[in-house]
Amino acid sequence: MASRSSSRAVHAFNRAFEQTSQRPLSKRQETASITALTIRCSSTASQSSAHSQSSVDPSEVSHFNNLAESWWDPHGPSRLLHLMNPLRHTFISRCLSTPFRSPLPQKLQYLDVGCGGGIFAESAARLPSTKSVTAIDPTPEVLKIAEAHRKRDPTLLQPGRLTYLNKSIEELSIPGAEKAKYDVVSLFEVLEHVSTPSSFLEQLMQHVKPGGWLVLSTIARTWTSWMVTNVMAEDVFGIVPKGTHEWSKYVNEEELREWFVKKGWGSDGGMKVMGVVYVPGMGWKEVPGGEGWGNYFFGVRKSA
Amino acid sequence: MSPRLPLRVQWARSSLPRRFASSSATSPEIYDVVCVGGGPAGLSLLTGLRASAVTSNLKIALIEGQDLQKNRLPQDAQLDRFSNRCSSLTPASVKNLQEIGAWSHANIARIQPYQEMQVWDGVSDARISFDWDSARSMLFPRKPTQPTTIAYMIENVNTTTTLLDRLTELGGVDILSSTKVDTIELGQNTEELDLSSWPILTLSNGRTLAARLLVGADGANSPVRTFAGIPSRGFDYNRHGVVATLRLEGPGRGGLDHKIAYQRFLPTGPIAMLPLPGNLSSLVWSTTPDRATKLKSLSPPDFSAMINAGFRLSPTDLDYLHTLPSGQADEIAWREKHMQVNESSLPMKVIDIQPGTVASFPLKMRHADTYTGDRVALVGDAAHTIHPLAGQGLNQGQGDAAALARTIKSAVETGQDIGSLLALEQYNSERYAENNAMLGVCDKLHRLYSIESGPIVGLRSFGLRAVDSLSPLKSFFMGRAAGV
Ligand SMILES: Cc1cc2nc3c(=O)[nH]c(=O)nc-3n(C[C@H](O)[C@H](O)[C@H](O)COP(=O)(O)OP(=O)(O)OC[C@H]3O[C@@H](n4cnc5c(N)ncnc54)[C@H](O)[C@@H]3O)c2cc1C
Repeated sequence: MASRSSSRAVHAFNRAFEQTSQRPLSKRQETASITALTIRCSSTASQSSAHSQSSVDPSEVSHFNNLAESWWDPHGPSRLLHLMNPLRHTFISRCLSTPFRSPLPQKLQYLDVGCGGGIFAESAARLPSTKSVTAIDPTPEVLKIAEAHRKRDPTLLQPGRLTYLNKSIEELSIPGAEKAKYDVVSLFEVLEHVSTPSSFLEQLMQHVKPGGWLVLSTIARTWTSWMVTNVMAEDVFGIVPKGTHEWSKYVNEEELREWFVKKGWGSDGGMKVMGVVYVPGMGWKEVPGGEGWGNYFFGVRKSA
Repeated sequence: MSPRLPLRVQWARSSLPRRFASSSATSPEIYDVVCVGGGPAGLSLLTGLRASAVTSNLKIALIEGQDLQKNRLPQDAQLDRFSNRCSSLTPASVKNLQEIGAWSHANIARIQPYQEMQVWDGVSDARISFDWDSARSMLFPRKPTQPTTIAYMIENVNTTTTLLDRLTELGGVDILSSTKVDTIELGQNTEELDLSSWPILTLSNGRTLAARLLVGADGANSPVRTFAGIPSRGFDYNRHGVVATLRLEGPGRGGLDHKIAYQRFLPTGPIAMLPLPGNLSSLVWSTTPDRATKLKSLSPPDFSAMINAGFRLSPTDLDYLHTLPSGQADEIAWREKHMQVNESSLPMKVIDIQPGTVASFPLKMRHADTYTGDRVALVGDAAHTIHPLAGQGLNQGQGDAAALARTIKSAVETGQDIGSLLALEQYNSERYAENNAMLGVCDKLHRLYSIESGPIVGLRSFGLRAVDSLSPLKSFFMGRAAGV
């Protein structure tokens, strides 16, 4: 079943990847363009003109500004993200515990792309095995929330532990030396909001140290995920704010896998996946094979 | 979901005196965990946190109003004298104490395991007996390796000394003994640091501590619970628990190796005798406040006779005996000559009371609306007080401590702020329903057995008889009691 649907899926993914070149840009895509990144991006009209090269969808922008206020409210609209956060660490630990000949250092350096209010970045910075976390997001408003929340924890204020940068990935300079790159580059719940995933991922990959991991989570583009995220989560349960997701932007796991193989990443077991599902009343649960139809984590190692 | 109230509002309702600017001028010492209360629950939590490698990096302070050193069980404590505050530790609690490395520090000679429990109805005489052999069916008899112990009688001071010894061995906790919490207030938001969600404690020794997570292990009148504005609801049973350490005529019907706990339900409340080492036993007699006062006023021989009568004579006889100003011993001796009792199913007779051990305390049922708030968690009696008839009070606190230690551990492993409500959610959901069920069962038992006549007495004796003849049901009940 997976193989039959996969060729169609790959096709869709490639189309999505190539869309900027093959298809005439829509009005929306003209204003927001290709280079910059994520979801939460460039917010207001003035912002998007400032980032005239921004690839991000401005319709996504105002939406996320509305969310900003309640980012850290455990019963607010980001509750699902908060609840998912521990699983991100479970998944990263799983990736990092895979033995390779050239091991990563004891203390790790993280780059969190599209950090939003800092849910993952804060937690990564608290881990004893973390040397530093650099967390970037192009939206000034959410970054202000992240900065203000960081002040609530003296641990996070230790010099070098957690640095927020109001930058897009394109604006982040790429270190000359491979060694100066990051051990873990993370991209959580961002990919499904990006118009041109391939060029976006290519930007990210330049920041991964040889032997390091690119770790992301997103949603598969299937009828189940369409039902769950757009109808159930947004309309029925109201647990995700309306308009958060645009199903056509979802990326499937096979699409990612084939794409990274082509890039020469993830060889020798350096590719991991974990499907998860949200069960109301129980929280997020790992579901073997869940990557085929819903939320999933994907980790890929840059060969050393 | 339990209601959550913003701390600022809660503070306004707190009864603790509020301090303004002055204390906040000096910056507080930052701690990850500040535990108020060094009773069995608080000590067990901190020992659990120190015993795990994951949580051993946390900066921890313990604040205890009393002198922890002075309240230790002396190493050379005599085996013929026992504290009147004893608890029945379940195998589940013991397992946890083993896991955190504390049990090996216990004064084992002062701990009495028991293998059988006899429970009966004082009105109808319906009886139920618990032991692991009869709880299992004939087809699946107990294997010799399986435990025969239902629970362990232990003095609370032995439990706390055990935990304190292990905690001292582990080190790494700032123990502030003989130190009281004067005030708790929320911190300030300054240019550099925002402590507006952090509880700041001002102590009687002048120190101020900021708590990432403030744990209320501070007993039934928990100041931490008051600070957090968490309501605690319940009622008073209008009953007192009379406790004493008893000397019996022998080691018990089963000898030294097969000890038996006895509990008889009387209309005024249950009377229970729980075995201690040698010929000693521990009494918990729940009764009306008037009768408690009366029992405490009696001479040792009269009080001993009353306890023996409590297990043998009819509720009507007992009513009468409580009206006598004194002379119960003679009166009971005379009555016993004229009645048939099957002594083999009753506890051995009390011959003496250990001086200074007769005391009573009011029985309450209280349950906090929630165990967690922003940067606050409650454990033990601070979270719930239970009718002592199941002897579960201390065990519930041990269960809380173990669960909170687990929650903190998984929060640390995933980089969560251990004081955040999200991180603490797991603890609340794990313990609340469980404790609520136990509180409910004990409360219903109390009500059921407070009724003296009418159809319900017949029903409940039917209940006891039915339970006694149904092995699977019994092993379920025993499992609950044993916490397995
Ligand atoms: C008289 C009596 C008899 C009992 N008998 C039994 C029994 O037979 N079996 C049984 O299972 N249970 C019994 N219980 C219940 C059992 O003792 C409790 O369930 C158990 O002790 C609860 O442990 P804890 O750690 O939660 O609280 P506690 O043991 O009450 O400890 C709370 C600690 O907090 C400290 N504290 C409070 N406020 C402050 C402050 N502001 N600053 C600093 N420190 C503070 C106190 O000094 C105390 O040490 C009895 C209780 C009482 C009162």
